[in-house]
Amino acid sequence: MKKAIHYINQFFGQIGGEDKADFEPEIREGAVGPGLLLNNLLSPEAEVSHTIICGDNFMGSNKEEAITRILNYLADKEFDVFIAGPAFMAGRYGVACGEICKAVKGRFNVPVITSMYVENPGVEMFRKEIYIFPGGNGAVTMRIDVPKMATFAKKILSGETISSAENEGYLPRSIRLEAFKEDAVSGADRAVNMLLKKINGEEFKTEMPMPVIDRVPIATPVKDLSQATIALVNSGGIVPLGNPDRIQSASATKWGKYNITDLDRLQAGEWETIHAGFDPSAANSDPNCIVPLDALKSFENEGKIGRVHEYVYSTVGTGTTQAEASRMGAEIAQQLREANVSAVILTST
Amino acid sequence: MKLEIGNFYVQDIVFGEKTFFQNGVLTINKEEALKVVLEDDNIISADLVIAKKGDPIRITPVKEAVEPRCKVSGGVMFPGVTNKLMPVGKGRTHVLKESCVLAVGEHWGGFQDGLIDMSGPGAKQTIFSELLNICLVANTNEEFERHEQQKKNKALRWAAMRLAEYLGNCVKDLEPEELEVYENPPLDQRSKKVNQLPNVVYVLQLQSQMLESGYNALVYGWDANSMLPTLMNPNELLDGAIVSGSFMPSSSKISTYQHANNATIKRLMKEHGETINFLGVIVSNLNVQLEEKQRSAFFVRQLATSLGAEGAIVSEEGYGNPDSDFILVINELEDAGIKVVGITNECTGRDGKSQSLVDLSEKADAIVSTGNVSQYIQLEPMEVVIGELEALARDGNSGGWDGSVLKEGSIQMENNGIFCADSSSGNHHKTVVEY
Repeated sequence: MKKAIHYINQFFGQIGGEDKADFEPEIREGAVGPGLLLNNLLSPEAEVSHTIICGDNFMGSNKEEAITRILNYLADKEFDVFIAGPAFMAGRYGVACGEICKAVKGRFNVPVITSMYVENPGVEMFRKEIYIFPGGNGAVTMRIDVPKMATFAKKILSGETISSAENEGYLPRSIRLEAFKEDAVSGADRAVNMLLKKINGEEFKTEMPMPVIDRVPIATPVKDLSQATIALVNSGGIVPLGNPDRIQSASATKWGKYNITDLDRLQAGEWETIHAGFDPSAANSDPNCIVPLDALKSFENEGKIGRVHEYVYSTVGTGTTQAEASRMGAEIAQQLREANVSAVILTST
Repeated sequence: MKLEIGNFYVQDIVFGEKTFFQNGVLTINKEEALKVVLEDDNIISADLVIAKKGDPIRITPVKEAVEPRCKVSGGVMFPGVTNKLMPVGKGRTHVLKESCVLAVGEHWGGFQDGLIDMSGPGAKQTIFSELLNICLVANTNEEFERHEQQKKNKALRWAAMRLAEYLGNCVKDLEPEELEVYENPPLDQRSKKVNQLPNVVYVLQLQSQMLESGYNALVYGWDANSMLPTLMNPNELLDGAIVSGSFMPSSSKISTYQHANNATIKRLMKEHGETINFLGVIVSNLNVQLEEKQRSAFFVRQLATSLGAEGAIVSEEGYGNPDSDFILVINELEDAGIKVVGITNECTGRDGKSQSLVDLSEKADAIVSTGNVSQYIQLEPMEVVIGELEALARDGNSGGWDGSVLKEGSIQMENNGIFCADSSSGNHHKTVVEY
């Protein structure tokens, strides 16, 4: 029989209410409180072998300590799934369920499941990392919320493929991957059906909800250019001939930095673009049209700018995911900050 | 404008002494067919290989797909491309349905080429696993682009069109099993009933981002990069006025086969007179400079507004940079009070956690998603490979890399490299969901 370990707080662990919220974590054999219901629902495929009880305040105020102790309790236990809550609308309990689920998943790589009300702060904090089922806002829905977790746990334990958030009922984790429409409804039919609904003022559902749009504010102007260090960064794939860092021509995950201290311009034949998303002929015959080192050096010589930063930073923008681009941007920005660069000319293509 | 499409359903394809169609079987005289292919001296070796649905076959590098057809009356095939320039979209066209000519590199692939599995888990990625494919496997003397990542693939693409027409000609004088009729009266001659229905346009944003000619989609042979958005009759598209280009990762492309079978146009034609008044197709493009993007978007808005459109479907042939053209057109149309549904794929990364499109807008509130270009795909070896598997790893394929081809022929790749998989023409049932 497969084994589940269940996490609950001091209240559902029948230790006490708010006055017992500093209760230090402990592990008990078998099911306690809502775990009895969970145990019944998991049967006969699985059982709740142990229960962890921890006071919400203890977890909130001594997070590292609480997690370390709980992970130590679990280290010698064999278990196949970890279930926390349901936490309903209880904020500290919801966050505690999220914290411990995330830690257990990270340490033991077992599936973790919890449940809480959608407005519980734990949802926004942990939605992307663990399976959270939307629950009621009070313990009155215990008999609705626990079965959701139990059914899903059994599905995972049986090795069945987990489908979309919408199908399974867990809260979307912002992971968008391919699937195939049941009944093989074509894109054309879905588009026309959606348009008919939209035109007729009926409710329709987009297949790609727009994320919150992340706008970057425009930087303040450089006060005195003649004292400024200016760096050149580009996503146009300008690299020394031969692409020494093997930056990918599309869907890049790497960036490179190249010393240009002794150069007045980027010579054709010594520098090239490895970007696969545009016609490279102009850039290869004059790489300065993407990385304007020639113009910037003459500004430096004329004293219009303080100096050109000694490295050019390059990556490739085509097909590169926004997440990779953000990571690479942050890494490059960190180096530029450490080098006291005052401003950056960022060229795309 | 009235177009009759006569369908002959192909159930099997064999080679024989003569090219003819009888009882659902297409027999091909290989020697004669290859003569048509070899009319172009640039093709230095060529063979035809049949790949059927369910066969243990992997095909790559696939450069183009063309449906075997012929014009019986009212025009020519591929006007301005393989035949003289004249209008199409009327008269009679005969089609060898369920069959398809694939242009396959004997050795060399490139950024824009694709892969098709005829069976197994990879097959469901693309509609081309569902067809009876006549693979034209050939090599050319196009040395100037042998080692280029971006290839025009002209000799092979043109040969595929000639071959498709040669095959189609065998049913020119036969009675089709089924006749589809597409009729669009001029806008001022439509019945009162039709005029009372909501007016809808279809906006097709063709891939046209290469500055040098030879890579972009062609409209009556004209490079879509050099045009402004224009109104076309749906029949012209269904009758081969648009020829696919050779740029953009393969999964985001619309092949010539899909242009002539554009499922969105066909469904809109079906709805015409029932639930909508289908005004026509605004053929637009995808550009590299902001002003070009804006100019095209303004033209699309102006045309749609002048026509009195109340609804629009916008298909984007591409992803990444062209997302900005896509969002711009949606914004313009929505600002003009036209309700828009967009069809596009997305780029969410192998882990699915990245932002779907390069550009975003709250106005793009009705999107049909057709795939994730960076979906990670692992496939077991296939008994038979048509073409050259190494091309996926060696030749800069957008979905492949060094190490894509593993021992004994199993592969790992991104969906980017699956042939025309994310059909933004709406021909496939693939989508993206949130986990």
